[in-house]
Amino acid sequence: MSETSCREIEPHLLASAMGEAGPDAVERVRVHVAGCPECREELVRYREVDSMVDTLRRTPGPDDDATLARAQLTSRLADLRSRLVTFGIFPSPLGPLLIGRSEMGVAVVEYLPASGSLTAHARRLLGEEAVEDRAATDGLRAELLEYLEGRRARLAWPLDPRRMRSDFQRRVLEATAALPYGAVTSYAGIAARIGAPSAVRPVAQALRWNPLPIVIPCHRVIGNDGDLTGYAGKRVELKQRLLAVEGIQALPAGRHDFKVHRESMYTLMNGDVEYCLPTCGSLAERPISELTLFGTRERAEAAGFAPCSSCRPDLHPLPA
Amino acid sequence: MQSSVFSQAGASGVSLGRVMAEDAFEAVVGAHHAEIRRYLLRVTARASDADDLSQETFLRAFRAYRALPPGANVRAWLFTIATNLGRNHFRAQSRRRRAYAAVALESPAGAPERADGRVLADEARARVEQVIGGLPEKQRLAFIMRKMHELDYAEIGSSLCCSEESARAHVFQALRKIRKGLDGQLSAGTEPGS
Repeated sequence: MSETSCREIEPHLLASAMGEAGPDAVERVRVHVAGCPECREELVRYREVDSMVDTLRRTPGPDDDATLARAQLTSRLADLRSRLVTFGIFPSPLGPLLIGRSEMGVAVVEYLPASGSLTAHARRLLGEEAVEDRAATDGLRAELLEYLEGRRARLAWPLDPRRMRSDFQRRVLEATAALPYGAVTSYAGIAARIGAPSAVRPVAQALRWNPLPIVIPCHRVIGNDGDLTGYAGKRVELKQRLLAVEGIQALPAGRHDFKVHRESMYTLMNGDVEYCLPTCGSLAERPISELTLFGTRERAEAAGFAPCSSCRPDLHPLPA
Repeated sequence: MQSSVFSQAGASGVSLGRVMAEDAFEAVVGAHHAEIRRYLLRVTARASDADDLSQETFLRAFRAYRALPPGANVRAWLFTIATNLGRNHFRAQSRRRRAYAAVALESPAGAPERADGRVLADEARARVEQVIGGLPEKQRLAFIMRKMHELDYAEIGSSLCCSEESARAHVFQALRKIRKGLDGQLSAGTEPGS
C-alpha cells in the first residue's frame, strides 16, 4: 500500500475511531499510524472521545423520565382524536357534497358551492386541523349516493352530535330524525313533538343550522300550509328533489317555492297506528302539525302503519 | 319517537376504518416516544422542552400518519419531525440558546490534572456534553442522531434536508470540535488499542 499523508488519512482515522471505516480504510490507517506517532496519538484520542460519547449514550440523565410526558401525550392524543374531523368531498346529483366524520361518528354533511376552492371552503367550515381523506369517507359517500338515487331508505350511521349548538337543537334534530322515510310534518309539528308547541320559530332556526342535512332529514319538515319554505340557505329546490326521491311530490308555488298538497297525501294522525285517506273523518280540518303525511301507501306501510279500517286507503288509493 | 338517533352506533352498517389506524398509532407511541423525548432532551437540554416537543412531535405525526406510505421508516420519520420542531424551537428562542452556549464555554478548556482518574473521566464526560451543547446546530443535531441514536447518514440527511455526505461531514466536524474541546483531558500518549 502506498504512503498516505497525515492530511489524507485524517477522515479515515476519524471513521476508524468511530468504527465506521471499511476494511481498506482501516488497513490504510493501521499502516499510517505504525509510522506516524502524531496520528497514532490522534487515533487514541478519537477513540477515547468515541468511548466517552458511547458512555454518555448509555448513561441515562437525571431528566430521562418520559412517564409524565407520555401521560400528557396520551391525554392530548385522545382529545385530538375526538376533535379531529376527517372529510371527503365528492360530486352528487345535488352538487358537491362534503361528509365529515370524527371517531365518534358522522359529524357534518354540507352542500358546497358549485364553484371556488372546495377544500378551502371545507377548512373554513371544519378548521385547519381537519384532514381530507377520501378513503375514510368512501363507504359513507357510497351509501349517501345510493340514498340520493332512491336505492336506500336509511342512513344508519353513528353520529357525532358535538356540532349541534344546544340541547334544544339536539332535541329538535332527534325528533326530526324520527320522521319516517317518505313522510313530512310541519315545523309546528316538530315543536309539538318536543313538548314546546309555541317554539315554532326556534324549531325552524334549529333546523336551519342542522349540521347533518339529508342524514337528519330536515327536508321532511315543511310549513303548516304545505309550503316547503326554505332549505340550505335559498336552495329550496334541493328540498323538493329530496322529497321527490322519497315519493313526495311538491309542486311549484310562486317564484321561489314548492308546495306539498295535503289532499294528495296519505295521512296519519299523530299517535295513531292506521294511516288514512286525507278526507277520512275530520283529518282535513286538522293542522299539519298534528299529522304525518305520506306520499305513498308503500312508505306508510314500510313505516309500520296499517291502512285505516274505515276509509280503506288500500281499497281506494289516491290517484298517482 | 325520542329513542336517540345518536346512540345507534352498534346498528351501523358503516365500518369506522380509522379505529385500526389509531391502534397502530398507539403502537408507534409505545415504541418511539421515550427515545424521541430523549433525543429532544439532548437537543434542548431542558426536560420541560423535551416534554413539550416530544408531545408535539407525536401530535403532528398522528395527523400525518394516515398519509404515510406502508412500509415507511416510522422511526426516521419521527426523528425528522422532532428535528424540525427542535430547530423551530431554537429559532424562536435563539437568545436562550446563545445563553446556553455561553454557559458551555465558561468552564475552562483544560481541566487541571487530578490524581483521581474517575473524577477526571466524569469531568471529561461533562465537558463532552458542554462541547456538544456549543456546537453549531446542524453539527450538533447530526452528531446526536448519529452517536446517541445510531441513525444512519441517509436518515440524518433527510432529517436535516441535506445529503448523506453533508450529514457525514457534520458528524465528523462535530467530532473534531469535541476532540479539540477535550485537549488536556484525554490520556493521550498511551498505546492505541487494537
